[in-house]
Amino acid sequence: MKLIASSYINSRGAYLNGEKLFDTSAVQEDYLKALYGYLELDYPKFHKMDHLSKLSILAEQLLHHYIDKDAEPENKLQLIFANSSSSQLTDLKFQDSYTNLGNPSPSLFVYTLPNILTGELCIRHKWYGENIFFILEKFDEDFFLNQIKFSFARENRLCLCGWVESDKNGNEECFLYLVDNTNEATTQLSLNNTLRLYRNE
Amino acid sequence: MSSHYLKYGTIITPLGIGEQPHLKALKANQSGIEPTLGRGYNGENWPLSQINFLQNNRFHHLLALACDDLNTKVAPSVLCSSRTLVIVSTTKGDLQALADDPFHATRSILKEKLGIQNSPIIISNACITGVLAINLASDYLKSGQYDDIIVFGIDVISDFIVFGFQSLFALSDEPSQPFDATRKGITLGEACGVVILSNSRTDEFCVCYCGGATSNDANHISGPSRTGEGLVRAVSKAIERSAIQSNSIDFISAHGTGTIFNDEMECIAFNRLGLNDVPLNSFKGYFGHTLGAAGIIEVIASMLSMENKLLFKSLGFNNQDSQFTLNILKENQAAPVQTILKTASGFGGGNAALILKSLS
Repeated sequence: MKLIASSYINSRGAYLNGEKLFDTSAVQEDYLKALYGYLELDYPKFHKMDHLSKLSILAEQLLHHYIDKDAEPENKLQLIFANSSSSQLTDLKFQDSYTNLGNPSPSLFVYTLPNILTGELCIRHKWYGENIFFILEKFDEDFFLNQIKFSFARENRLCLCGWVESDKNGNEECFLYLVDNTNEATTQLSLNNTLRLYRNE
Repeated sequence: MSSHYLKYGTIITPLGIGEQPHLKALKANQSGIEPTLGRGYNGENWPLSQINFLQNNRFHHLLALACDDLNTKVAPSVLCSSRTLVIVSTTKGDLQALADDPFHATRSILKEKLGIQNSPIIISNACITGVLAINLASDYLKSGQYDDIIVFGIDVISDFIVFGFQSLFALSDEPSQPFDATRKGITLGEACGVVILSNSRTDEFCVCYCGGATSNDANHISGPSRTGEGLVRAVSKAIERSAIQSNSIDFISAHGTGTIFNDEMECIAFNRLGLNDVPLNSFKGYFGHTLGAAGIIEVIASMLSMENKLLFKSLGFNNQDSQFTLNILKENQAAPVQTILKTASGFGGGNAALILKSLS
């Protein structure tokens, strides 16, 4: 397998392959909206999404041009996503809608599952392939590596892996990386280091 | 095709604990769904498939009961082996811990009660999670790192879930009637199901896991596809990976939630797949929709069909929808159930399928 590209978004900015493309630390408005403008997205559905989906749509847009059309992404691209807090931020907002605001909100309820974000990515790009969403205690490169191997053994050709978090304390980040099934020998992708770099740890 | 063996772990629903009470109930077409008083947001009496013997914390209690039953059936040498892995399918975990960590208790209860060595893997992928978890178990076995994968499916009823589905106008005010012409929607349920996928065959009853797949509708996050495209793709891939012929399938355990659009989507997909004559049911008339547990408990119910050579009627189905051309089981039916297809579809546009075969 081969690492094709990685992207990262948090409140400080947007990064592609380790390089900062856009600095949001000085942005006054919602940084996700600023990124939407920077990426020249024209996708009105975006504004209705929860933060997990918005983060994923934006981070995918950063690396979208790396997705090889000849690899049949509509059928052979697998999404492997995980986080530690599931859809906690939206879950708490939905709970608040019926506890304090007088009505359970259907528009919030439909985002109270973490895998809705993979659905949003599939809708946007017409991907009909395989999806899976895990709840892990923290990002674990080796865990993802196993899943990628499983996926390629099932004859998928591309894996878009994602660690995307949006919790009650406002901690938000989205780390995506794209892997293809060429160069069968590679096993070390050094993604723990890449993520530390993005996180500025 | 893989040679992995799927065995009963346990099943806990309002119908009882373990396979035998469930076999008895399914044979008698007895449902776990009952009227409840005032569980709706405005005090509506939504019917629910609710486990009355659970005490607070209901999620903890249900998971602990499943572990206790498993401890009586599975040898400690298997449970505590470094070559055993636990996978958990749940959509929401313990919602009472929502503001903290709804998944923490799952990990700690499993470790404490079962003495497992490896950290359990948790999947949360809406209503397809159970089927997806069994498919993942097969991937782990193929990797050679493990001998046994114990797959849990668990979710409990909560205000959160009831009010949520109510807000979408998805709940039925009568026990749900999957595939019926007069179906009105979902009845929610709660359950825990456990199956064990192994490299080796033992004396206990088991079936062969042949293969599985997932897909996405790429259509809508909360509405079923109008063309059944995603389900067609998932089933086609599952058939291909199982190296079986589609005409060898002799039973379909469908998703069948009882909503107008879900059941219609499945009908379209099974027709496109040429599976419209295959005997089919939805087990949700017995168990309600148990979300993360659904795929697992419906696989267990399908295994009971295989073991007892008896198909169970699709409970709640009385009136054929004029648009439906499916072979929906109106009565229990003795049949040599050799090859079965289990499907699931859910929010986020997900679809999943798997195929099981009898060994005899």
